[in-house]
Amino acid sequence: MGKAGIILVRGYLVLLLLFLYLPIAVMIVMAFNQSALYQLPFVFDLKWFASLAGNQRLLDAGFNTIEIALINTVIATTLGSMAAVVFARYSFRGKTLMQLLLFPPITIPWLIIGNSMLFMFYWIGIRRGIVAMLLGHVALSLPYVIIVVGAQFKSFGTTLEEAAATLGASPWQAFRRVTLPMVAPGMVAAALFAFAISFDQFVISYFLAAPGVTTLPVEIYTAIRKGYTPEINAISTIIIVVSMGLMLLVARFYRFGGER
Amino acid sequence: MSRVEVDRVSKHYGAVRALDDVSLTFEDGEFFGLLGPSGSGKTTLLRAIAGFVEPDAGDIRFDGRAVRDVAVHRREIGMVFQNYALFPHMSVFDNIAFGLSVRRVAAAEISRRVTEMLGLVRLGGFEQRRPRQLSGGQQQRVALARALVTKPRVLLLDEPLGALDKRLRQQMQIELRQIQREVGITTIFVTHDQEEALTLSDRIAIFNEGRVVQLGAPHAVYERPSSAFAASFLGDANFFAGRVSTAGGQIETDGGRRIATFDALPPAGARITVAVRPEKMLLEAGTAGERDTPNRWPGVVKQAVYSGSSISYRVDVGTEIVVFAQNQSAQPLELGTAVAVSWSPLHSVVVESSP
Amino acid sequence: MRRTARRRLAIVGLTAPAYLWLALTIFLPLSAMFYFSFLSALPLPGRTVSVTLDSYRTILTKELYLINAKRSLLLGIHVTIGCIVIGFPAALALAKYVHGRWREAVFLLIVLPFWSNGLVRTFSWTMVLRRDGLLDWFVRLFIPDAPSFDLLFSYPAIIIGLIHAYVPYMILTCYVSLQAIDDSLIEAARSLGASTLTIFRRIILPLSLPGLIAGTILIFVPVIGSFMEPAILGGKDAIMLGPIIERQFSASANWPLGAALSFMLLAIVLAILAAAAPILRPRLQAT
Repeated sequence: MGKAGIILVRGYLVLLLLFLYLPIAVMIVMAFNQSALYQLPFVFDLKWFASLAGNQRLLDAGFNTIEIALINTVIATTLGSMAAVVFARYSFRGKTLMQLLLFPPITIPWLIIGNSMLFMFYWIGIRRGIVAMLLGHVALSLPYVIIVVGAQFKSFGTTLEEAAATLGASPWQAFRRVTLPMVAPGMVAAALFAFAISFDQFVISYFLAAPGVTTLPVEIYTAIRKGYTPEINAISTIIIVVSMGLMLLVARFYRFGGER
Repeated sequence: MSRVEVDRVSKHYGAVRALDDVSLTFEDGEFFGLLGPSGSGKTTLLRAIAGFVEPDAGDIRFDGRAVRDVAVHRREIGMVFQNYALFPHMSVFDNIAFGLSVRRVAAAEISRRVTEMLGLVRLGGFEQRRPRQLSGGQQQRVALARALVTKPRVLLLDEPLGALDKRLRQQMQIELRQIQREVGITTIFVTHDQEEALTLSDRIAIFNEGRVVQLGAPHAVYERPSSAFAASFLGDANFFAGRVSTAGGQIETDGGRRIATFDALPPAGARITVAVRPEKMLLEAGTAGERDTPNRWPGVVKQAVYSGSSISYRVDVGTEIVVFAQNQSAQPLELGTAVAVSWSPLHSVVVESSP
Repeated sequence: MRRTARRRLAIVGLTAPAYLWLALTIFLPLSAMFYFSFLSALPLPGRTVSVTLDSYRTILTKELYLINAKRSLLLGIHVTIGCIVIGFPAALALAKYVHGRWREAVFLLIVLPFWSNGLVRTFSWTMVLRRDGLLDWFVRLFIPDAPSFDLLFSYPAIIIGLIHAYVPYMILTCYVSLQAIDDSLIEAARSLGASTLTIFRRIILPLSLPGLIAGTILIFVPVIGSFMEPAILGGKDAIMLGPIIERQFSASANWPLGAALSFMLLAIVLAILAAAAPILRPRLQAT
């Protein structure tokens, strides 16, 4: 490929990355700007972050968000890994169907899932709030956990467990000493993933939140509808940094997972 | 060290019969090769003995005791897998020690036995290495050490040398045999490499389509194949179809030649196929056989393929046959040379006959 | 215990919790929603409700809903085309012209925002598109007195926001297809005399079709059901299915209508998925 071609390719990718990151960068910069109306020139000020600390609604929402995300991580990773083990180790009638059933949560628009959960929970008497949101988040996280952990299994195959069996390890011993160490990186990646999914989740939380019991994304949305203030930029900055940081960790674990 | 009996074992997957009423006995201390093309059932049988495959019918016994309800991890077997299946997250020492630690053997004892085993496979000093730091041959030896250290009753090898290059494979074959003799363990191995089966085994069984086609010592199976399949799977063979002649001990081929054999023959007139291995035939240039002389036919050299230590010729004797000649004179026969092809009646093997 | 029985117990025992959870939170709710769409009103204690087709009748007769369905579908098409135009070249560049550690790094950079908070990303576009936002500031660097683009709260803003959100999907799926194309295929074509354009048209494009289709499905479906981006970026211009459905649960408080609308949307989604299934299935086996 000619010199010009290479420059074209690189230039294109740079432009693409600018397109992807510039808005986020601007938003973050404005969080540190003194002006309440987003006016330039830029004057560094941390006051918007400071005011966050006094915003009880946001603090409560933040606490809820983290609480739900943590519980979601534990539940989704456990349940999802168990299912992933089965898919990796056994083949049985109905397996394909079960794997197909993992797709609705991912592919059906969250709007539909959100309000159908609303109906269901109303019908069986679960009130909107933390429990309802938790139920929803786990449902969304499960397919991703199963896929991520399942992929980790795939890359190691079943022969290692067979070898352990021929060496006298009972199924439990084989699981503890061979399977678990090998899947561990995948499970960590899946756990981080599940946390991020819950942490960032907006639509489902929006439908299932109750007055006074919300998550950060829901609060941010409400604030945006009322009008922009740099306080929104501040909390958004925190969220996006946490979010991207988590995904960077996932990438590390997933890439360097296990001994190759 | 055990005797393994396979008694009328069958296994099918849907419509496919992976094993069809197979019966074999593996004697104590024997090095037994299961040979056959892909899908012939040899690997299925190995895995059934290991316990990964549950037969639909028949029994498998170790020293007379049925193992049908015994789980894999209680059968006291040692197995080496095709891709070695070394635990990547453990060192060489921990890999080999695994079987012992699972049985809760004392640490000092483990250390002693692992070191002993590393010596046996000549990998002393490799204790702390990781599998990914080892070459193919080294990994294979670790896999073997790991399987043997627990002193299993049977050693099962699933195409153990398949992943190695030719020279290394030959070297490993010799080592494998030595180790097996030293340890004295009943060993069953699966291979599709006929040369490997021949050099390593005390006895071999040729599989085809889920059945044992022939069974016996390598020499016996090679020199006296009982079927056309066995004759062409193990080694090469020239096949001649014809009828049993009224003259004793002779066959008239469809091409009008005569073959003499020492094998028992059905009555005159019966259809029959005879196999003659290419290396058993001798080529003489400058003379010609006569048309009606059995086992000495006139021919013309059509092609000579030079392979260093040997030369294989395609000779036209009415039909085309293959002859292997040792490269003694460093002078391959030229194309078009008239030759006499001859062989002993001892090497005319009846492989198929119908009344 | 016999081996087969043990095995069965393991399979059922390990998958049951996850699937029961999904049944409770996804599959049963969808049925519940279906049921609710046939009610006349939300069954509150003390209120009598009847089974009716009113909601569906409303949807199919009132022009408003048909227009909105069309607008949503149109939005889906526009966004998908935009993602293809922007994303395919990027995937091609990554798959064929960037190598080694750079490839991993760029890939990670592209995917990173994608997996982070969508709401915040959408909000960040308001900083760019609003009056006197980044876009205007940039333009005014060159033309000081330019009028404001004021793109915020318009249809183009929604499109831009959605493309920004979903283009990594397209890049991902196209990348997977493209990098599976062995370089030797292209070399063989060249040795047979094909020009670059021909190679692209007859080899690269057809072989990357599965990726393009997968990406299209993954983008089109969520986009037609989106309500957050239209709400934030579209303001009053956000007259589409998504916001309308959402409104039934907040302002309008007409849950049965909301259910019926959701179900119509779901039907469209399932139809698209069913149509694409035969193309996607072999790719799924490969993963």
